[in-house]
Amino acid sequence: MVRFKNRWLLVEFLPIPSTPQSGAVAQTIQLNLDGRQIHSVLKQSILSNYGDIGWGAVALSLSVKYFSPTTNICIIRVGREQHKIVWGALTLLDGLEYMRLIPHVVHVSGTIKHVQLAAIAHNRTVIARYRAMANAPVAYQDSYDAYLESSNRDIESLED
Amino acid sequence: MFYDLNVPITTTTTSNSGSKKGKGKQPQASNSPQFTAAQLSAIDAHLDLLIHLGYTVICFNQTVNKKVDPKTHINVLNELLEKLKPRRGILFLKRLSVILDEDSEKGFGLINANTSYFNSYDILSLIPTNQATFALACLTHTLPSPLTTHIISIPLTLPRFPFHLKHTLIRTAIKNGAVFEINYVGALGGESDAALLEAGAAEANGSNAKRNWWAAAKELVRVTKGKGLIVSGGVVAQANLRAPRDVANLITLLELPQDAAHAACTSVPKSLILRAQTRKTYRAVFSEPTLVIPEGYSAPAPPITSTPTVASIPLPSSQQAVAIGGQKKRPREEDLVDSKQKQQNTSGTMSGQIGQGSDKKKKRKNNKE
Repeated sequence: MVRFKNRWLLVEFLPIPSTPQSGAVAQTIQLNLDGRQIHSVLKQSILSNYGDIGWGAVALSLSVKYFSPTTNICIIRVGREQHKIVWGALTLLDGLEYMRLIPHVVHVSGTIKHVQLAAIAHNRTVIARYRAMANAPVAYQDSYDAYLESSNRDIESLED
Repeated sequence: MFYDLNVPITTTTTSNSGSKKGKGKQPQASNSPQFTAAQLSAIDAHLDLLIHLGYTVICFNQTVNKKVDPKTHINVLNELLEKLKPRRGILFLKRLSVILDEDSEKGFGLINANTSYFNSYDILSLIPTNQATFALACLTHTLPSPLTTHIISIPLTLPRFPFHLKHTLIRTAIKNGAVFEINYVGALGGESDAALLEAGAAEANGSNAKRNWWAAAKELVRVTKGKGLIVSGGVVAQANLRAPRDVANLITLLELPQDAAHAACTSVPKSLILRAQTRKTYRAVFSEPTLVIPEGYSAPAPPITSTPTVASIPLPSSQQAVAIGGQKKRPREEDLVDSKQKQQNTSGTMSGQIGQGSDKKKKRKNNKE
């Protein structure tokens, strides 16, 4: 029974611009991130905090599965034994060169199913927050609906 | 419920308060605005982030160097709380930290005469920087009194760990109800409170601070064996904030077991805040003890000359026992327990009574929670 067990982390990145603004505004800042950049930044963080040994423990099972630029959500898969290392390295992450970030781990789970559900729920709350800020009337159709649909499809098509 | 018990607030007039130097000639003008609009909006943004990350109880911390002089010291947090916009569901607390060093060994204002002044703060804490003040903080200031300092915050980012953590001192402090605080800002190498930097209680250089922090925090965890620890922010820059679960994970890297790490973020601060409220009570007693007569207990029958009719009274049936017990029930329990539970077995009241009669220091758990 040597099944390889994983942990799936749902991470939200909160950007902190160098000129302090109120939190609600800050979330609308777009980061030009993608999965590969996150992977490299995470690798740097693990290397500097845990060294080569830490990176070696994690490297084969670490992969960034999904990233959404609109809501700054990222789904990362790690092996179960090493997920604490990656979680710690994520917390100690400072940011990118041009912008500081707060990594906020929203959900940790052992199967992809629950991470998908958590991601979809989180997307909905973020979109609701954007809409509340925009103060639009309830039945107003905006681009967020289309975004929600497409992101739901992307998330659900994730495979192990 | 996640707690951040250390959100440092510095005021614009720190230069004024720093130059007391014992002369105390400049009385602080109490009507000068201590917070500019820019500072307020920065604090608001900081709070927004904290709430977004999931903290529900936030404690503002004002740091004072060396000693507290009631004539010149102003509780800026009172003003701050009035000026912040109201937020539902969030609890704000006020805390005072005093940095202790050699000069404060003789006394630093935490005396009985000043008690009424300190009542405006919810939590008091000390930051000792050498062995003598550490012993002072652990032994004398944790005893239950209106001036108990419930939090002892050891500076973790200093290059040479300033004093040897003696196990007996720490154990006494924890037994008296104090907790030791770990500020997670050091782990990230972020900037610490300006007052701490000035007083030399924190290291300015980021990477050195980080290394010292990991070493010192690990030592603190080892000596306290994971009990009596709380984790708090101490974060000045927004970018160093972290969600409470992330912080709990960081603390597990200090070889603290996972449940202890989670308790350090949730249950330990919760008990601490409740305990801190006992500063207003006599010797840290929580509740007013009430006399409880157990079910079926009857006063000893009057001697010899009693007639048979009188003697039959002390033997109530079980039905009556419930009724009698119900009348004699503590008024508190009637609020707490809803009617369904009242009719249930008598064993409920027995255990409730035992719980109250014993250790008065522990809070009686509300049935509904």
